[in-house]
Amino acid sequence: MTPMDRRRFFKITAITGTTAALASCGNPENQIVRFIPDDELTPGVAVWKPSVCPLCAAGCGVTARVMDGDAEVFRNGQPGVTRMGLVRKLEGDPAHPISQGRLCARGQAAVQVTYHPDRLVAPQRRSGDRGSSQFTEISWDEALNLLVERLDATAAAPAQLAFLSRPRRGRRHELVAEFLRRFGAPAPVSFEIFDDAVLRRANELSFGRHQLPTFDLTRTNYLLNFGADLLGTWNSPLAHSVAYGAMRHGRGGSKPKVVQVEPRMSQTGASADEWLAVRPGTEGALALGLAHVVMKAGLRPADGGGRAGVQVEGWSAGLPAFTPEAVEKETGVSAARIERLAREFASYGPAVAVIGGAPLAQTNGLAQALAVNALNALVGSVGVEGGVSFMPQGPSPVATVRTLRDVLAAAPPQVLLLDDANPVFAAPAAWKVRDWLRQVPFIASFGSFIDETSALADLILPDHSFLESWVESAPESGAATAVVTVAGPAMRPLYDTRSMPDVLLDAGRRLKTPLAPALPWQTFEEMLQAPVAEPPPGAAPPARSADASAPTAWQAPQLDGSAGEYPFQFMPYPSQALFDGSLAHLPWLQELPDPLTTAMWSSWVELNVKTAETLGIADGDVVEVASAHGSLRAPVVISPGIGPDAAAMPVGQGHETFTRYASGRGANPLAILAPVAEPSTGQLAWAATRVKITKISGADGSLILFAGATRERPEHARGRG
Amino acid sequence: MAHRWGMVVDLDKCTGCEACVTACHAENNIPTAGAVEAGRGRAMHWLRVERYWEGDFPDVKVKFKPVMCQHCDNAPCEAVCPTYASHQTDEGLNAQVYNRCIGTRYCANACSYNVRFFNFFNPQWEKPLHLQLNPDVSVREVGVMEKCTFCVQRIKSGKTAAKADGRELQDGDIQPACVQSCPAGAIIFGDLNDPESRAARLTHSPRGTKLLEDEGTEPKVTYLQRQSWNEPDTQ
Repeated sequence: MTPMDRRRFFKITAITGTTAALASCGNPENQIVRFIPDDELTPGVAVWKPSVCPLCAAGCGVTARVMDGDAEVFRNGQPGVTRMGLVRKLEGDPAHPISQGRLCARGQAAVQVTYHPDRLVAPQRRSGDRGSSQFTEISWDEALNLLVERLDATAAAPAQLAFLSRPRRGRRHELVAEFLRRFGAPAPVSFEIFDDAVLRRANELSFGRHQLPTFDLTRTNYLLNFGADLLGTWNSPLAHSVAYGAMRHGRGGSKPKVVQVEPRMSQTGASADEWLAVRPGTEGALALGLAHVVMKAGLRPADGGGRAGVQVEGWSAGLPAFTPEAVEKETGVSAARIERLAREFASYGPAVAVIGGAPLAQTNGLAQALAVNALNALVGSVGVEGGVSFMPQGPSPVATVRTLRDVLAAAPPQVLLLDDANPVFAAPAAWKVRDWLRQVPFIASFGSFIDETSALADLILPDHSFLESWVESAPESGAATAVVTVAGPAMRPLYDTRSMPDVLLDAGRRLKTPLAPALPWQTFEEMLQAPVAEPPPGAAPPARSADASAPTAWQAPQLDGSAGEYPFQFMPYPSQALFDGSLAHLPWLQELPDPLTTAMWSSWVELNVKTAETLGIADGDVVEVASAHGSLRAPVVISPGIGPDAAAMPVGQGHETFTRYASGRGANPLAILAPVAEPSTGQLAWAATRVKITKISGADGSLILFAGATRERPEHARGRG
Repeated sequence: MAHRWGMVVDLDKCTGCEACVTACHAENNIPTAGAVEAGRGRAMHWLRVERYWEGDFPDVKVKFKPVMCQHCDNAPCEAVCPTYASHQTDEGLNAQVYNRCIGTRYCANACSYNVRFFNFFNPQWEKPLHLQLNPDVSVREVGVMEKCTFCVQRIKSGKTAAKADGRELQDGDIQPACVQSCPAGAIIFGDLNDPESRAARLTHSPRGTKLLEDEGTEPKVTYLQRQSWNEPDTQ
């Protein structure tokens, strides 16, 4: 029995007081009672508490501005009002090696996750049909009993338990993996549409590191970027942007150059000194063409490619098939330009080549990445200042997970636990994730919102928001040194929510057949307090050692759909605001104008100026985009930054069910993708689908642009959008 | 000498990432209009990132330009305000006194930069989104014009903090929200009357230009133009 102090006594009285009021009084205003505050804050004075942004894999350290305020809370099954410390704003943490005091648009909007009006305030049990989004609030005791009952029933066949989350690193994921291992269940399943598994595999072959790379951009003199939206959405965009700012100072009179190679101009491409349009899926051929010129001109010897060069077929012979003329035919980049770029790249070092995003999401993604890796090795930019390196890492849980695609091919498990993954939205409809999930007898989600996937759950055990719980990150790239960030709660929980790791630990203790051996921690906090083994130093990638595997031959990308019937290559891309769609519920991000189109609250299809002219399409007209696997409708934005045989579309909108701000808005380009995979990793080749475009109607007002709209437009004068 | 606040935007560094836009919303309690009203041109962004396309595919370039109130010395919005709601402060800020504003919207029509926004409705934050509001900044009501203040609340608290510590205000002590968040460090804020401040020095950069300079508005925001890459001398 805990000793009863004065504060605790008052707290309990206050809560019992509420029940009495509820029973006796019909006036809703009188049903609210103030819980006794227990935060020690001076009214009006802000304190800053550290936290970690959870919205992408970059793992940026943030500081939260906490001030006191009145909050409507829901605790112990009852609503109330309490005066408490509330997070008012997020800023970058100046002491953090990745965020360095800065914070991107998405990170700043993360505070709205905590204060979202549609956040679940208590555990929910499904009360309607699966997918009907009908749930009933239940207590944690009941919820945990339901979960443990199901886990106990699976104990005899522990392989029937599956856990689905994102491929992230850190102790939270270690805890999940440990729980599963001790339960006897297979490794966690991971799914993230824009994950660069292909690049990890390529780096393993080229450099012996199964890991995403880090670039020393502040000291780079020449950045040659194949398709990665470095400054917008790719890998560690904030760290890249900080470095880009430092790069633009210029050093010693010569300014570093940024060259972007991509089929559709991204935000990063817009910030480059030189932009090259290339046929989608031929970026690697261009890299090999550059390597050919460098070797032929004797600027570097072929064996400079070392182990990375050995992985590329024909490398040691100087890539005879990749003459500038041959590469011009394949990529659409002129031979003279290839010659010039090759000489620049070899002359103005330290130079670094980067590949990421769409070029990896092709059937030839691995060959593309291997080509760029070998190019880096050729000019000696691996493991040096201004080049590419790998952050020191502990054992990688990413390497030991199962992919969703493999799991979907097998029989559904008996029990599925879901954490921060929404494959019903983010996987192509052709994967039939929804049908597969419907066959799983029991699904429990730890989500804070009802989205397309958790709508199919039988039980929802809402997690705290990141500001209310112990958080940590252990990103695999973004800084030269290993970065592990741990932070305590920045505020008390508003609702009857529980931290997912704690729920898992609690469930583990309640099992009839205990976990063997039992998990050594009582709480996640305790796990985080335990010392972390120092990762081995960033081993220099082995140079010039041959790998046993056969070298990979260059292949042209295989696209789904015939060029005759489906003339346009379809290029979905992560939206600057909504990322992969997991942020579409945040109103600040919905109303954030897109950098290149100024579109807000909208979906759109980008088409080349001439293509639109040929098809008789004007800005804002609605078109149907159809692949062999489905179709969607969206308004057109005519863009000079995309080739005539391509169509691009931001990912993020098109949610059926995802809070009041995102539901039923726009269209989801991921749904119509062909189920084509990159063969070495099984990762979805999301840039390998062909589509046809048909005009449906004139502007219907669904395209909302900020540009040119800063004055009020009356209803009758509304033009496009 | 009185302060004279000004800003420099280095377009060579701006990546168009819009971190400044969200920072401005969070700091200044700017309402979210919602899809319907945004479609009517009523979205409010005190700070916006403009983009300019140059050339045709594939030889195409984009230039980003963050545009906020230029805090003009000779501000067209001030002359037309019948109630002196829009006025110049002693420190060179183009201030908007919400209590005086009667919503004629003359100022928004006079402004050359389209940076003034009218509250067509009482702002609403669907509960509990109101908990994100910054207590240091007042929420504007229906019928009132609003715009970038250079985060005047941060200027005030910066001065108060320096006074409490018994020291002079240092360059860099005060950072508006956009400046603080900008990942590339493209926005610099400071006292133009302090010749040693970074902002004052960069204002005189040969790359410096002002928006619509020939209108005679005398803006206090200087834009440093993008520099193209030149092949280094290789001897």
